[in-house]
Amino acid sequence: MEQALVELWPILLYFAFTLVLLGGVMLVSTILGPRTRGHSTHLPYESGILPLGNARVKFANHFFLYAIFFVIFDLETLFLFAWAISFEQVGVTGFIEALVFILILLIALVYLWRIGALNIRKRHLPEQN
Amino acid sequence: MNSLGLFYVSASIALLASFCVITQKNAVHALLYLIVSLLALALCFYLLGAPFAAALQIIVYAGAIMVLFVFAVMMFNINQQDIERESQWLSWQSWLGPSLLVTVLLVEVLFILQSQPAWTSTESQVTLIDAKAVGSLLFGPYLLAVEIASFLLLAGLVGGYHLAKALPHKPVNKEVNQP
Amino acid sequence: MPTLDLVLMIAAMVAILVPTAAMLVWFERRLLGFFQQRYGPNRVGYFGILQSLADLIKILFKHDWIPPFADRPVFVLAPLIGALAVLMSFAVVPMSPNLMVSDSNIGLLFFLAMTSMAVYSVVLAGWASNNKYALLGGMRAAAQTISYEVFMGVSLLGVVILSGSFKLSDIVLAQQNMWYVIPQFLGFVIFMIAGIAESHRLPFDLPEAETELTAGFHTEYSGIKFALFFLGEYLGMMLISMMITTVFLGGWLGPWLPPIVWFLLKTLSLICFFVLLRAALPRPRFDQLLELGWKWILPLALLNLVATAFVKLWGDF
Repeated sequence: MEQALVELWPILLYFAFTLVLLGGVMLVSTILGPRTRGHSTHLPYESGILPLGNARVKFANHFFLYAIFFVIFDLETLFLFAWAISFEQVGVTGFIEALVFILILLIALVYLWRIGALNIRKRHLPEQN
Repeated sequence: MNSLGLFYVSASIALLASFCVITQKNAVHALLYLIVSLLALALCFYLLGAPFAAALQIIVYAGAIMVLFVFAVMMFNINQQDIERESQWLSWQSWLGPSLLVTVLLVEVLFILQSQPAWTSTESQVTLIDAKAVGSLLFGPYLLAVEIASFLLLAGLVGGYHLAKALPHKPVNKEVNQP
Repeated sequence: MPTLDLVLMIAAMVAILVPTAAMLVWFERRLLGFFQQRYGPNRVGYFGILQSLADLIKILFKHDWIPPFADRPVFVLAPLIGALAVLMSFAVVPMSPNLMVSDSNIGLLFFLAMTSMAVYSVVLAGWASNNKYALLGGMRAAAQTISYEVFMGVSLLGVVILSGSFKLSDIVLAQQNMWYVIPQFLGFVIFMIAGIAESHRLPFDLPEAETELTAGFHTEYSGIKFALFFLGEYLGMMLISMMITTVFLGGWLGPWLPPIVWFLLKTLSLICFFVLLRAALPRPRFDQLLELGWKWILPLALLNLVATAFVKLWGDF
């Protein structure tokens, strides 16, 4: 247990240092900086065009699908990390098990590939009739 | 300050942050507090002698699942209107009853814990379980559980995709500017 | 309990890392100038070496503007999270046998965990800015970062199998006979690609692609907050170079010279390589980037893992 604390203290201390440094720099800039006020200072920057509506729009978020894939494959990676670290201990049994594990997930990946879930461009083309 | 003190600090942070999660009216702010709460929990795990679980807690919960949540919240387009509606939900009439009942339950649990002499000893022995031990257990005796987990992940992947994908003939973009 | 020399070392570490990242901005501009047959910044100090200092002073005296239409707390927090998450990862990087903040038993996982925290900075920045370009840029950045995070994790698995440890100093010491770049060449390449994508460096700087999204997730950022994003990006490049050095190129190991010199030399040459990539390669399209990742890099990384395990079990290196 003491070993764990020995590793933890420097990290906590380091965290405090970086936080103070970065926060301090931001604070200094807030104090030193001037306050300017032009006639369009407070408009959103949209490359010179006046903004139309605000940015709180609902949009079809195909990125959301990637977030789902990410969560699943991240979990898979962690199982594999558990395997990799104990590779010596679990030996051939573990290898076969991990192989099955990877194969099942690869099947999922191939399935997603085949039904076009990994393509983002095609879904955004106008519909062909 | 020893590990016990650190544990209590991080546990209180977790509790406080979780409390802020339910009282925040803006969903993104609530999510930020939830991330803080999960990070504090990771520290708790670490101090209880489970460094591997702590790392997984950060990578999976704080790093992956919360990203999904943030994405979802952004998709659902939180605006001032939603925040105001949310604030109406949190009237005291709605939370007073359940929290009273839960307090009774909490007192009960504390009472039971008090009557168990083994659990109230001042500093219980903490044993360090490193990643190697976890791995050899997972890929040894609990072999089947890992394979079942892979099936669960498979189902999650396929199901998640089919639930979240856009419907082919009804583009979601149509309803962008409706109030 | 923290002792005085630990405090001093941590203070020194922070005090060295941040200015070095700032110097890197100047270094990269000079190097880009060299690659493109022009001078680059050469007016402030010898060879323009004080350019970053001048920039810093200028930025400190800029209006610290928070858009009135933005979500104030999140807007301020986002750049802080970004720089903090990257800086925290340096805590486990072993620069020499005794120059490291913490030689953690789960160092590699700590690195991955902190990298996964960095996503929030871009997502929250994009969302809090309340600007359409920023929102789209943030979404892109998030999709890119989380995708390549997966590949980064998988590409490191081979090294974990070979060394049998998450402790970075153990991984370095395990490379005394052979650097892991040779048996793990595929893992090395994948880790490097993922690292560039993670830190949004060119050619994978699609979240900030000027021609499409003005400045992406930091469109509304200016002054010191923009500088923090910038710092985060350069610290990210340093971090990826240091991690590649540690994990694949034998870290501080090397003959004759002191360990820290070897470590810094390897890191510096990797940084030069990254700058060269920036100067030489065009930007891919966003869908190409993601499809490349999920369709090719992920299966390849898994293949690399299985092959490594197979060879470790039944073959001998």
